[in-house]
Amino acid sequence: MSKELEKAGLPVALVSAMFPVAMQVRANRIVKGVSIPHPCGDPSLPKDLDARLRREIVRTALKALEAEVTGPTVFSPGIP
Amino acid sequence: MTTIVHIVNQFFAGLGGEDKAGMPVGVIEDVAGAARGLQLQLGEEAKVASTVYYGDNYFHEHKEDAMKAILEAVRSAQPQVLVAGPAFNSGRYGVSCVEVCNAVANALGISCVTAMHGENPGIGTYLDFANTRVYCLPTAETTVGMNDALKRLAKFAMRLARNETVGSAQQEGYIPRGIRRLEQTDRPGAERAIEMLLKKIRNEPFESELPMEVWDEAPPAAPLAQVKERRIALVTTSGVVPWGNPDRFKTYRNTHWRKYNIAELKELEPGKWETVHGGYNVAYMNQNPHYGVPLDALRSLESEGAIGPGKLYPAYYVIPGNQGSPAVMRRVGQEIAADLKKDNVEGVLFVAT
Repeated sequence: MSKELEKAGLPVALVSAMFPVAMQVRANRIVKGVSIPHPCGDPSLPKDLDARLRREIVRTALKALEAEVTGPTVFSPGIP
Repeated sequence: MTTIVHIVNQFFAGLGGEDKAGMPVGVIEDVAGAARGLQLQLGEEAKVASTVYYGDNYFHEHKEDAMKAILEAVRSAQPQVLVAGPAFNSGRYGVSCVEVCNAVANALGISCVTAMHGENPGIGTYLDFANTRVYCLPTAETTVGMNDALKRLAKFAMRLARNETVGSAQQEGYIPRGIRRLEQTDRPGAERAIEMLLKKIRNEPFESELPMEVWDEAPPAAPLAQVKERRIALVTTSGVVPWGNPDRFKTYRNTHWRKYNIAELKELEPGKWETVHGGYNVAYMNQNPHYGVPLDALRSLESEGAIGPGKLYPAYYVIPGNQGSPAVMRRVGQEIAADLKKDNVEGVLFVAT
């Protein structure tokens, strides 16, 4: 699905916990998600830290959209 | 007696070459051009009731009119089977053959068979449709393969007319459509898997029961300069939908997508949203929908200026991705892309589970 968006000329930042699979299916801008049932955040963290982590993931995805890539590339969110 | 309608372009109808490619849809209430050869192969068993033709350019430039006229012509002949082509490596012709087969199969509920070379762009269209009633046989690259192609088309058409069970692409020789079918066997999976494994270890040939999809490569789209000035949208396969699942998504194998308004929202309140997905434990996301649709983070980045004011698209797109077939997901991706482009979206955040 994300590849069809890219084919239409839309850069896609794919937030996924299954980044090896995302690499295998040749997604281009891959952002490491936390885990499959909660890619954008971590419920084991206190609420405010969880929200900061989520913001970091989204910020990384925005950065990925600005990045020049030539093939599948993984972007890792920093720990806030 | 079986009735067949044969679809050909202007060239194979014997009406002219490139100079006649603008010719509209026409019907010959008999066999003409390539259809004559098809009738020869069919012999006494079936009759080609009519030959429907169109110019290669006309079809693509006036697709709606062309398709309407073709459907009408086919319907009035009441065939049991439709044959289109062979198109060899002729691109416009190949794509039109597949599109006509797909439209006829859907509108009339009959089986259709076409034939073309493996590198004809029509094959891509064939894979996109993956229509259970449409088959495409491989041919040579050029008309050198005409006799052979017509012979196989005739044979295949007769099997379809007799409603014979058509087996897998590998057994039957048509081009695989990427459709997986359930089969019954009296040997348990473990036994079959170990047998395959032993064959693999012994370097013997073996055949997978679940051939893996071959992924095509999409070159990366150009990056966005100054993301904060760009229109961004969120797309997700997580399955977060409004509480009550108003569009009746299933937990698996969905075939439609929806977009839900978030224009006025600062965050997604738990209890107003639910997650429909059969592939993972949705409890976390039900408690906090932001794990799939991080609206709180997007709004916070918006207030910081990392996303420009009003640059976040006012709705998010969703289809629960569980067990989505690649063909369906390709189509959904294309439809969402078209919708995003229409509204001038420039980049996508995609949350996959």
